[in-house]
Amino acid sequence: MKTFSVAVALFLTSGLAGQEKEAKDSLDAPTRERISEIKGQLDGMSETLAELKTFTDALRKIKISGYIQSQFQLATGERINTFAGGNSAEGVRSRFVVRRGRLKVAYDNELTQYVLQIDVTQNGVGIKDAYLWMREPWLRMFGLTAGVFNRPFGFEVGYSSGSRETPERARIIQTLFPGERELGAQVEFSTETGVLSHFNFKAGLFNGTGPTANDNDNYKDFIGRAGFQLPFQEENITIDGGVSLYAGKVRSTSRYVYSFNSALNQYFADSSTTNVGKYFSRNYLGADVQLYYDSPLLGGLSLRGEYVFGEQPGTSSANTVYNPGTASIPLYQRKFSGWYLTLVQNIGLDHQFVAKYDLFDPQIDGGGHAIGAPAVGGGSSMTAADVKYATVGIGWNYHYDANIKLVVYYDVVTNEKVNPTATGSLLGLRDDLKDNVLTVRLQYKF
Amino acid sequence: MKLLATLLLSLFALGLLFGQTETITIKGSDTMVILAQRWAEVYMSKNPNVSIQVTGGGSGTGIAALINGTTDIAASSRPMKANEKEKLKQRFNTLGVEIKAARDGLAVYLHESNPVKELSLPQIKAIYTGKITNWKEVGGEDAKIILYSRENNSGTYVYFKDNVLEGADFVATAQNLPGTASVVNAVAKDKYGIGYGGAAYAKGIRMISVKRDDRSPAYEPNLENIKSGKYPISRFLYLYTRTRPAGALKAFVDWVLSSEGQEIVTRVGYFPVR
Repeated sequence: MKTFSVAVALFLTSGLAGQEKEAKDSLDAPTRERISEIKGQLDGMSETLAELKTFTDALRKIKISGYIQSQFQLATGERINTFAGGNSAEGVRSRFVVRRGRLKVAYDNELTQYVLQIDVTQNGVGIKDAYLWMREPWLRMFGLTAGVFNRPFGFEVGYSSGSRETPERARIIQTLFPGERELGAQVEFSTETGVLSHFNFKAGLFNGTGPTANDNDNYKDFIGRAGFQLPFQEENITIDGGVSLYAGKVRSTSRYVYSFNSALNQYFADSSTTNVGKYFSRNYLGADVQLYYDSPLLGGLSLRGEYVFGEQPGTSSANTVYNPGTASIPLYQRKFSGWYLTLVQNIGLDHQFVAKYDLFDPQIDGGGHAIGAPAVGGGSSMTAADVKYATVGIGWNYHYDANIKLVVYYDVVTNEKVNPTATGSLLGLRDDLKDNVLTVRLQYKF
Repeated sequence: MKLLATLLLSLFALGLLFGQTETITIKGSDTMVILAQRWAEVYMSKNPNVSIQVTGGGSGTGIAALINGTTDIAASSRPMKANEKEKLKQRFNTLGVEIKAARDGLAVYLHESNPVKELSLPQIKAIYTGKITNWKEVGGEDAKIILYSRENNSGTYVYFKDNVLEGADFVATAQNLPGTASVVNAVAKDKYGIGYGGAAYAKGIRMISVKRDDRSPAYEPNLENIKSGKYPISRFLYLYTRTRPAGALKAFVDWVLSSEGQEIVTRVGYFPVR
């Protein structure tokens, strides 16, 4: 409407200007004065519109987006520890939750960007993203991001929950990268033209303590991914992928540092006092591949896989990264591996079939019946944090319109069976836990 | 039960009798609206069982509609951006199919009475970024240059910005108009105006010759110069589909690329790709 008004005003102005000379000769003084007055008014309007344009151009750079995921979940057991949206409480096997309530505001100035994203759920308000991004103006290939943002590792960490076809990320990704984001700064390389457009690179230094915690040491963790994109247009296939590295360290607050002895299937402690304040490795190596195929009969198909292995410092009861704060908590060193494979088949415009398998083994050097077996020779038994899990998920996405998506998804979770004599927290793990989960989710995204 | 079977059979027979109408939607580039409408008109006259709906809105709008699933074909006067391909991949697991349907010379329009006959790319850039503000600086009259541009959802805008302004911002005094036709109208009525857009719209104004730089020869935006690549501001016009076209969509795309479809390209004022 505004631009139309501008066009009309200009049309009138130019039309009047073109006839002005002729009019001056034939019109009387009051009419000429009136024309001059109208022209003055139009000039004034043009100036006002130019000012308004400056204002609306600035407003156009503000981009607001978001999504709400409201879901109902039904589990096969009560009080389960689940990766399908958080643990449930005692006596609860079904629940309604707002899994994610995101609101993202970006100020996009083409070569620079401000991004702030919050997450509002029944648990409160949390910060997801708070970063600035800038790209150099000369080659337009190199960029810098600083603040809280996605870690540049693998594929699924950075794949938006609003777009993802499965309700949650794989167990290994949730374990290694809780919250996906991290505080730090990264450089990136990417270009849209030439041979180099098939490659991209991101790497940065991060605190290593997660998206919301303050740093607890002087060591900064390196995270980086070198990626590629290979389109085979004739075959309607695209293969993307990359290799990623996490090279970090954590600082022990305890003199007790446990290492695993695979011959005895037990942990043994090093209790040197020098362990307090000493750094221990947190290293991951990953490879990811995504294959996209435009199937002539059904529609687009994708097959995405990712494999990660490395060493993770944790605690006796947790295989997430060691972050004790000021408490003196013994450190457990584990070697882990895990992977997932996701198949998505689009069916027509509105439907997507999805299947996923993921496996996470937090202790690759031991497991099974050795977990929970009586400790011998001064060692410590493996715990629930060493149990391997496999999850098979199957589901359906229905895109009702451009904004609303319905997801029906069922997770079948299988745990490693521990020693039949195991007690305490391992008792339930003698058999397969009742922790399968059905998720019915409605998402509104704009 | 018998009644139901009769009813179903009757509906089936009616369907056979009247045939099923296939609907194809094309949305996007304002530059391509006339071309797409001509294609649609001619194609529908030869294929009465196909209905083609054409709307503009700009290349970005068309591509967004393709990603949202609200159009079958996006008409675009610029290639899809990497982030748009990424969105298409996320939603449909495809990269989209790019069809180069025509070629266009992006003309620079002046008023018919403007004595300036040619400009170099650096001069055009300087004019649109506000470094040159008076026609006398480029061999014209002593008068302020009035700039007309397009809105930023337009592929023409993006192409001009990327390839002529080399990514620099338009000066704030440039007036953004909602379509190339509006730009042409504005320049046709403004003695000191300058605008840009497809050659097909160039009625009532003059398209100037353009030089790559100050030392290069100037070329008019005509068929020969655009096909040979001598005219420095030329581009492809694209049709994008989400997946490999099939059925009625494929038949239409094949026809667009046929000699008949390409003849319409020429008739509308663009340049054929085949």
